[in-house]
Amino acid sequence: MKLQQKQNGEIEIFELSGELDFHNTPQVRDKVHEVLSKQAKKVVFNLKGVTYIDSSGLAVFVETLQKMKRYGGKLVLSELAAPVRSVFEIAKLDKVFTLAGTETEAVQTVSQ
Amino acid sequence: MTMQKSFEFSSDSVKLEDFRNDLKKLLTETGFEEKPINEILLAVQEAVTNIIRHAYKEQGKGKFSVQFEEDEEKVKFSIRDYGKKFDPTKRPDPDLPRGTPGGLGIYLIKNVMDEVTYDESFTEGNLIHLIKYKKKSHS
Repeated sequence: MKLQQKQNGEIEIFELSGELDFHNTPQVRDKVHEVLSKQAKKVVFNLKGVTYIDSSGLAVFVETLQKMKRYGGKLVLSELAAPVRSVFEIAKLDKVFTLAGTETEAVQTVSQ
Repeated sequence: MTMQKSFEFSSDSVKLEDFRNDLKKLLTETGFEEKPINEILLAVQEAVTNIIRHAYKEQGKGKFSVQFEEDEEKVKFSIRDYGKKFDPTKRPDPDLPRGTPGGLGIYLIKNVMDEVTYDESFTEGNLIHLIKYKKKSHS
């Protein structure tokens, strides 16, 4: 699991790659929460390189969304590969999150 | 012709990614396509994660095994632990979508597998069987 972080103006972008499971979600959660503790208003996740996700991985995103909603932040997930999108769909989380096809689209959506 | 393989683990040292890779190799030989293979990997993984997180929560660690069997019509996983008893088949499905994190693992298992059964005859812990049929492609 690799996590890269970059900033585009006021937008925090996290690029994740690898497999997001019970063992490696804590490192992602810690890094994301560090950013959320500063009440980042706009966050984009690029999940292009994520090849596997389980319920622990989903929980990280649900928790992030929940926290951001409390302070009025916006979160967009982008570039979900088919196996990852399928897990979001089974859990009906595709209806909860704003999903974008590309990172550029996600940046535009979160900026609106 | 049937194929069988057993995996033995300790809950404190299991490497989930390595296990998934081993399972994926086995499953690609069964004739399943990529989508059902990913679903099976997810279900087995969720069952194993439940053992680590819940069955051995009090002891801290313990042993568990995953037995894989394949025949002409299906693949079957028998997952056995010796921890706190818990029958996942009795857990009601959550209201979806969930607005709070967690509580999705068992729902995912039941959703992607064709059969999920809890073996009451195994009294030393928990034994669940997960089955996916080859013809009945579950979506």
